[in-house]
Amino acid sequence: MRVWGLLSVVAFQIALLVLRGTIPAVLLALPAASIALVVEKGDFESIASELNRKGVKASAPAAILGKSGVKHEFAFALIPDSGKARIVVDTELSVKEVDEMKVLKFYVKVFDVGPDKAVLCVSPRLGARAATLAKEYGITVLENDVPRKLIPMAEKVVKEFVGTGAN
Amino acid sequence: MEEGKKKIFPVHYAPGKKLFHIVVTLSDAPGSYSSILDLVRTKVNLIGTSTYTRSDGTAMFSGFSEALSRALTAKGLERLIMSSKAAISATVYEGKDGLLVDTFHTGFVVGDEEYILMRRDGLVHVFDRVSKMLGSGGDALLFEEGTAMGLRNAEMMIKNVGVKRVRAQTGTLNRFLAAQGWGEIEAKAGPGKDGFSVKIDDCFECSTDGSSRGGCNFMRGYLAGGARATFGKDYESIETKCRLKGAGACEFVLTPS
Repeated sequence: MRVWGLLSVVAFQIALLVLRGTIPAVLLALPAASIALVVEKGDFESIASELNRKGVKASAPAAILGKSGVKHEFAFALIPDSGKARIVVDTELSVKEVDEMKVLKFYVKVFDVGPDKAVLCVSPRLGARAATLAKEYGITVLENDVPRKLIPMAEKVVKEFVGTGAN
Repeated sequence: MEEGKKKIFPVHYAPGKKLFHIVVTLSDAPGSYSSILDLVRTKVNLIGTSTYTRSDGTAMFSGFSEALSRALTAKGLERLIMSSKAAISATVYEGKDGLLVDTFHTGFVVGDEEYILMRRDGLVHVFDRVSKMLGSGGDALLFEEGTAMGLRNAEMMIKNVGVKRVRAQTGTLNRFLAAQGWGEIEAKAGPGKDGFSVKIDDCFECSTDGSSRGGCNFMRGYLAGGARATFGKDYESIETKCRLKGAGACEFVLTPS
């Protein structure tokens, strides 16, 4: 039991790194244990690459200087030449429901950076209090039991945002 | 004389000692304080005392003391003090098992403002936890809170002594923060015509070892907020050196933004 518990923690950490774009997806083709975690439609880095090819400035991960002078890291962001982030995306994965502290943690970064849109990708889902808080803060929440499915969901939201001419 | 930390006595522990907290209302006249001291010095060893005047024309004496004899009682001390013409009323509280707590006072007042006292280390740990829980957002939050407090404190000072005096005596007023334990602040003009640099020795925000924070964001904001209230414009505040990054003292540069 102890071994399986450890493996699930490791797998969870790997999923987290993939979603944050820290581990290139190609590396995941190697260990069998990671095959299930391969991101089907590409990770945030590839979304950023695609948008950059189309002339839309995007970064994954993105380090953005807030009004306070503190630098914040997001999994993905659209940052036009003006330097002011238009959309920021972050991920929160948990074995249980994601709690309100994670929403608060995201919100204070968003507050400091001041983007037009803030998207929090959550797996499996937000707890009730966290969901209320996210709604109050105007955060767009994407939820899915399968972490890898969050990437295409976020991509759709980002592309819709870009499509509206917001960038 | 070397500068140092002021000792105050909301609590004192001295195992095996008989302890008293002496509180006396005095007439606010020359010689009142010394007449009380002359009386009690034969019976107790004063550990720490404070005196202050009150708006009703009286003065207060408060002293923590150790009895020179175990036979001394609180009532006996009260009678002794009341034998002085300077004493209007006296109450003596006795400690228990070597522990004496100030049960008379209910807080601190500086000017017209109420203050609270807390452990420096305790506040620093609050900052550590905010930063740990909220990550970089926590650092931003500390900056925002520092800015708000710096702005409000400077506005209060301007209200009390006037903006010209605050601008002209920044160095003196920085000593006010030092006296409260925030750190020894030294400000210099430059860079540029309107910028200034600030060095803080013994900065409270980074006074605890083992902090995971990368800098003093509360203090950085506090200086920006204070500068905004004092000079009427926004400042960008950057911490260029910090003890959390191995420097001997914290240094900040503020330039109009």
